[in-house]
Amino acid sequence: MIDRLFNWMDDRLAISRGGRHLLNKIFPDHWSFMLGEIALYSFIVLLLTGIFLTLYFVPSEATTIYHGSYRPLDGAHVSEAFASTVNLSFAVRGGLLVRQMHHWAANIFVGSIVVHMLRVFFTGAFRRPREVNWIIGANLLILAIFNGFLGYSLPDDLVSGTGIRIAFSILESVPIVGSYLAFFLFGGLYPGNGAIIPRFFIIHVLILPLIILGLLGAHLGLLVRHKHTQFKQPGAREDNVVGTPLWPTFMTKTLGFFFLTTGVTALLGALVQINPIWQYGQYYPWKVSYAVQPDWYMGWLDGALRVMPSWEIHFPGHMIPNAFFPGVLLPGVTFTVIMLWPFLEAKLTGENVREHHLLDRPRDRPVRTATGAAVFAFYFVLFGASSTDVLANYLSITLNTVLWSFRIAAIVVPIVVWPIAYKICKELQGTPNAGKRKVHNIVVRDADGGYRTIPAEEYPGYVGAELEPLDVEKIEVLTAAGKVVEPGVYEIPRDYR
Amino acid sequence: MRRARWFSRRLAVPAAVVIAAVSLGMLVWWPASTPSLAGTVLTASVTKSTNHKPNLNLGKTLFDETCASCHGSSAEGSAVAPSLQGLGAGTIDLWLSSGWMPLAAPGAQPARKPPKYDRAQNIDIAQYVASLSNYQGFPIPKVNLKGANVANGFSVFAEICAACHTITGAGDALSGGIIAPSLHDVSKTQIVEAVRTGPGNMPRFSSGVISNAQLSDLVAYVTRNIQHPTSPGGLGLGGVGPVAEGFVGLFIGVGLCVLAAFWIGDRTPRGPLGVEQHGDGEGGSGGDGGSPGPVGDDGGSDREIQHV
Amino acid sequence: MSDEHGNGVPVNLSPGGRPLEQRAPHGAPEQRVQVDLSAPQFQVAAKNPKRAERTTLVLFLLALVGFAGFGAAYTQNAGDFWLGISMALGMLMFGLGVASWGMFLMPRGPFEEPRAPMQTTPDEKRLFLGDFESRGKVAIERRGFLAKAMGAAAAVLGIVAAFPLIRSLGPLPKKSLYTTKWRKGSYVTDINNRRMKVSDLDVGSFVTVFPQDDVGGAISQTVLLHPQTTDIVTMKGRETWAPQGFIAFSKVCTHAGCPVGLYEQATEQLLCPCHQSLFDIYAGAEPVFGPAPRPLPQLPLYIDSRGYIRAQAGYDEPVGPGFWERGGTT
Repeated sequence: MIDRLFNWMDDRLAISRGGRHLLNKIFPDHWSFMLGEIALYSFIVLLLTGIFLTLYFVPSEATTIYHGSYRPLDGAHVSEAFASTVNLSFAVRGGLLVRQMHHWAANIFVGSIVVHMLRVFFTGAFRRPREVNWIIGANLLILAIFNGFLGYSLPDDLVSGTGIRIAFSILESVPIVGSYLAFFLFGGLYPGNGAIIPRFFIIHVLILPLIILGLLGAHLGLLVRHKHTQFKQPGAREDNVVGTPLWPTFMTKTLGFFFLTTGVTALLGALVQINPIWQYGQYYPWKVSYAVQPDWYMGWLDGALRVMPSWEIHFPGHMIPNAFFPGVLLPGVTFTVIMLWPFLEAKLTGENVREHHLLDRPRDRPVRTATGAAVFAFYFVLFGASSTDVLANYLSITLNTVLWSFRIAAIVVPIVVWPIAYKICKELQGTPNAGKRKVHNIVVRDADGGYRTIPAEEYPGYVGAELEPLDVEKIEVLTAAGKVVEPGVYEIPRDYR
Repeated sequence: MRRARWFSRRLAVPAAVVIAAVSLGMLVWWPASTPSLAGTVLTASVTKSTNHKPNLNLGKTLFDETCASCHGSSAEGSAVAPSLQGLGAGTIDLWLSSGWMPLAAPGAQPARKPPKYDRAQNIDIAQYVASLSNYQGFPIPKVNLKGANVANGFSVFAEICAACHTITGAGDALSGGIIAPSLHDVSKTQIVEAVRTGPGNMPRFSSGVISNAQLSDLVAYVTRNIQHPTSPGGLGLGGVGPVAEGFVGLFIGVGLCVLAAFWIGDRTPRGPLGVEQHGDGEGGSGGDGGSPGPVGDDGGSDREIQHV
Repeated sequence: MSDEHGNGVPVNLSPGGRPLEQRAPHGAPEQRVQVDLSAPQFQVAAKNPKRAERTTLVLFLLALVGFAGFGAAYTQNAGDFWLGISMALGMLMFGLGVASWGMFLMPRGPFEEPRAPMQTTPDEKRLFLGDFESRGKVAIERRGFLAKAMGAAAAVLGIVAAFPLIRSLGPLPKKSLYTTKWRKGSYVTDINNRRMKVSDLDVGSFVTVFPQDDVGGAISQTVLLHPQTTDIVTMKGRETWAPQGFIAFSKVCTHAGCPVGLYEQATEQLLCPCHQSLFDIYAGAEPVFGPAPRPLPQLPLYIDSRGYIRAQAGYDEPVGPGFWERGGTT
């Protein structure tokens, strides 16, 4: 039956043609190649949980009166968006779990993109011919951050509403077109005319996910076209890829990984509360809570807004507002530099004359590694600065001290990190065994009483290091009967155990 | 069976870790995370402030013993301490019951600590100080929450209180090293006293801003919902918002996923790293501007296992 | 594997992008590698496959328990905690099981596949560009005027299509960023539509207020403070603006527009909860700390004969954060 179905499909879709190469696609085994998969799988979790949420969420700012199970809101005038979010949390079976999973998955999604990007950066995987894919990846990060912010804003609660107000101010700060941008996105002067939530909703659930899906397809398509990079190791060369084929080994591992990612999301969704909007209440423009921050992936922008000195540029008739520098210029410069980095580096090192499929060890590129570490430290300081008030409260020091510490740290920390990272790289270069498995030696006493040592197996029966990789498309497997399976087919016969 | 042991380490340990984590989580979170919305159903409760009859003589004794050295024997104030004359009993009671007074040392910043005196003694002192001047100030209130509406209280709280104390009542730092304290352990009486008398940097809210009815709604909200939040969904992370959530998301969420990747994937690339490879031979620090031309022109070596 | 057209020009149908030059033609056995199943690459990774099978089986059974628990929790309406825990258990065990199957019970490899350079050969470039240019020249450039006309039409479409896409999204800002609803004589009104009187605010009190015709307005919101009982003069020209110590400032932060709702009564400062800008009330809400670049605009007040607090006029400058057209005044 399945055979007939396959034949029917294959005759019409030509699955066999080219499909076989996909089955044979080799994936390197190193764990760091799986970081991007976390992003992919948490995105799938986001899509699935998000679909569930859209069934109950009402994207409207129309006022309604809440009459649900949460007493402190009983009779409160709230927006449809807020009321439906509270209702789907309390009145829909499993609703709160799905909502929390969605939010946690968003945190994991952006986080894993960043971790994946760091891996690609520090190992030089962005070099020719992969610059385009690097740029696509950077755009995916931007879109993920934007979409996270939009989703965070949808419940129309007190904390996220304040974030929308800041977003309006940041848009407004753009020179020349700022006020038009803000008015067009928000449908008028803040707080708009009921257009914010419906617009954010459709951008969040349809427009940006579609673009993300498209770019994701391009990202993965290019990955297949370029094939994977790989670390330098025996058998790995610029003109091959060593690892496990997609079918069945990698497929199985990665399927398991998908469920593990989902499981982690479910675990967090069940155990750790996130964004308890019923405690925050409905947003009103004149209400505000202290200790409000955006989600962590916007935290560095909020931190930048806080540590920015109170400068503005004034000239006759016009001005460039303070919020422009941390709110628009900083992310603009950040992502421009990220996207241009492959070209900047190629320019500096003259490397683009050929393709690179073997990865660098970070220590072997101390300048790149130190630069990446310093820049990352800068953004980490900014992220920390988004909680100046909370830190001042918990550490019992004054806000001024905390703020000035962050202002200074934002400059000093990167300057300190750079030489330290550079030095560590240089030191690691000088210790060739650093980071490798230690090989134990076994002391053996000879029959004549002398001692000698022999290296132990890395673990019992470990043979991986000695094996030559087999070319999946050149293998001819001999069966037990000595028969050659069809030439060119990597097939495991039934007597495989 | 070394082989078996190795295997069990590679697979069974992570499995055991997951099971342990899940069961631990169930143990730790189980009581907190059974959302019993019924718990928020209001039972109209009448709460009287203590029925203690103030003993002014005892109040005077305690005042002379503890307060008079700074504030003066008739609370007229001194170089190091303000006059207390004209302050109502409510103000004195708030500062004593919150432990702000007496100070740890003269000149120290008032800090929250266990009160020096018990409830009755505080009232004695407060009434004694209030009796020192003709102007009676704000008295010690009797807080009656009967019929209080927490929904109204929530609305007032979000409008007026949340800006300093945060919407979850966790408190936060103001300028100059002063904090808006957490509201998680304040009493009904203290809330009313603080709202009406404005201790320290806190504004005082007269009945023209927060009416008595609104105030009892507010007290009901704080004592019932801020201090005993309905908290389904698991661990609350201190109510300090998305930064704490971000750390959990990054270090536990992404961290667990990376651990899973670390478990599934190879730990170190097979064999010695950094071995000179043909085709891309640089192992050093600088750029490898050399060896131009397309790659793979040196493939096809003798690495096949068996040529036929 | 029909990767070739009859004409012998290499056409690459594989997703791997490998040109045919590098691929072994069929029936060239010297390119092949014969191995039998005893080759170490084909052995399972587990040293003790039986044990691996058993453990994987247990994991799948645990997953089954988890998923079944989810079903039970759902039908029993046991709450989000049990739903989540059972789902997490099921997912994690299922994931561990599937992954361990792949990790321990499948050929350990390593395997490899060849990789061709991405860079195309000069021949490929030449053929492609040849087709593209030669056909283009003949078919398009010969009728260049048509191409220009088509381009013009398309350009107009592109421009006019942008109008409804952009312009319909919202009104033009016009003067709306410059003004609030505060007018001469506006009553200072709280959120409950109560017009504030002198007697409503004790010293040290504050309240968020609006003009009576814009209660709840996001731009008109104002803090009314009462730090003392005598007139406050924050700066020259504002001698009458704060009668009897009633003083009002725009509640919209000049930094990023948050409500400056945090009144520090003893130090007489307003703090913005979002980015901790600090404004000195007695200096006309001059920012003394944090990122805010400009003072909060002050609303001139007067007290009418019946004791109501009212506005002498609207704000004399745009409230809230800066914008390009706002101009150069500080």
